[in-house]
Amino acid sequence: MFVVIAGGGRTGTYLAGLLVAQRQEVRLIEYRKELLVRVHHELPTEVVYEGNPSRPDVLEQAGIRRADVLVACTDSDADNLTICYLGRACYNVPRIIARINNPRAGWLFDSKFHVDVAVNHTEILASLIMEEMSLGDMVTLLKLRRGNYSLVAEKIAEGAEAIGVAIKDLGLPQRCVIAAIIRRGEVVVPRGVTTFEVGDEVLAVTDREGEQRLIQLFAPPNNSNHTFRHADVAS
Amino acid sequence: MNVIVVGCGRFGAGLASRLHQKGHQVSVIDQTAAAFENLDPEFRGRLIEGDVLSQDVLHRAGIERADGIAVVTNSDTLNAVVGHVARTVYHVPNVVVRNYDPTWRPTYEAFGLQVVSSVSWGTQRVEDLLVQPDIRTVFSAGNGEVEIYEFRVPPRWHGRKLNELLPDLPCGVVALTRAGRASLPTCDIVLETDDVVYFSTTLEGVQALRRLFKED
Repeated sequence: MFVVIAGGGRTGTYLAGLLVAQRQEVRLIEYRKELLVRVHHELPTEVVYEGNPSRPDVLEQAGIRRADVLVACTDSDADNLTICYLGRACYNVPRIIARINNPRAGWLFDSKFHVDVAVNHTEILASLIMEEMSLGDMVTLLKLRRGNYSLVAEKIAEGAEAIGVAIKDLGLPQRCVIAAIIRRGEVVVPRGVTTFEVGDEVLAVTDREGEQRLIQLFAPPNNSNHTFRHADVAS
Repeated sequence: MNVIVVGCGRFGAGLASRLHQKGHQVSVIDQTAAAFENLDPEFRGRLIEGDVLSQDVLHRAGIERADGIAVVTNSDTLNAVVGHVARTVYHVPNVVVRNYDPTWRPTYEAFGLQVVSSVSWGTQRVEDLLVQPDIRTVFSAGNGEVEIYEFRVPPRWHGRKLNELLPDLPCGVVALTRAGRASLPTCDIVLETDDVVYFSTTLEGVQALRRLFKED
């Protein structure tokens, strides 16, 4: 796989490093002198191409014509959108991924500028932090968009109704399936006879009705202000 | 006309003021409120402070009802992106973007946008005035690929035909003014001293004519 990365900020440089370690072919494009010093320090010379990636001539010289993936992760939304547009309209890159800097510009990061996948790091970071805070709260990991289903995760709080009860006796609704239990860092494959313990992290595929039921079962006894939090991951 | 001007530096502010004077409804967008101080004190129009990539800002400027939009910030990628959105998402009938750094032209060409390169155009004008005052540019098509020039017929060309003077030139004759009266000449018209000839040609064409001026 040949990956072209536009933008040598922390994200771009770190990503390039990961791909190099996986022995993928990578080219990182950056033009700002102050960033190039660090980029050259962290990456092999042949990976770095110096130039402004929003310019067609620079993309061409960096090898965009044979790229399998283009990643636009500069710190300018206008630059990222321009790079993505050029990548498909001029060079027909099969897969294009872009970073959103300002969430208010997020509505532009789709087919309008040939973006296949948009990564909104502000939103992802915020939802990860919320997940870490969530003892007894449910986090939606993935919206399965073709139905009303979600993949959700919840930690079982102390005193929760489900503790010590076997899955088959929980009275779960029809459209709710426990997919996995993470117990002390190990994955437990759930069976009908499996019982829940405090601190279990439960992954479930469920519709809205099932979500409500899981909240009742896994939350601490007197927790009335439950809220849903959605980490919007494209499915 | 309802017109939006994006970018309120000297260029945008000057444009917005002109449009207002001609009686158009103008909305101006800039990310910093201080930029609106560039506007003429007489200017009356809507001022919107905010990031132009935000949908809310575009809607507040009335992009859904706009007849035209001029994107004239000093960022070439921003101009290209906003121009593309105005054209393909909102179908604004008239979209014009400013090219700030002339070396960015290929990026605009990829988007297929109507572009005005103020720097290319300005440097060409200054060069004309500085170097070659006998053949003046009077109109520039596109960004100067083809221009209309005027020159005054010198005494040594009196009695000669236009197509003798310009045999292989890739050019079209636009008009001829003789004693203050303009006409549409054919290429075989016999020139008189002080006739003013208007013709269109490329940069190569005008360079050939300038060599002819010097030779005689």
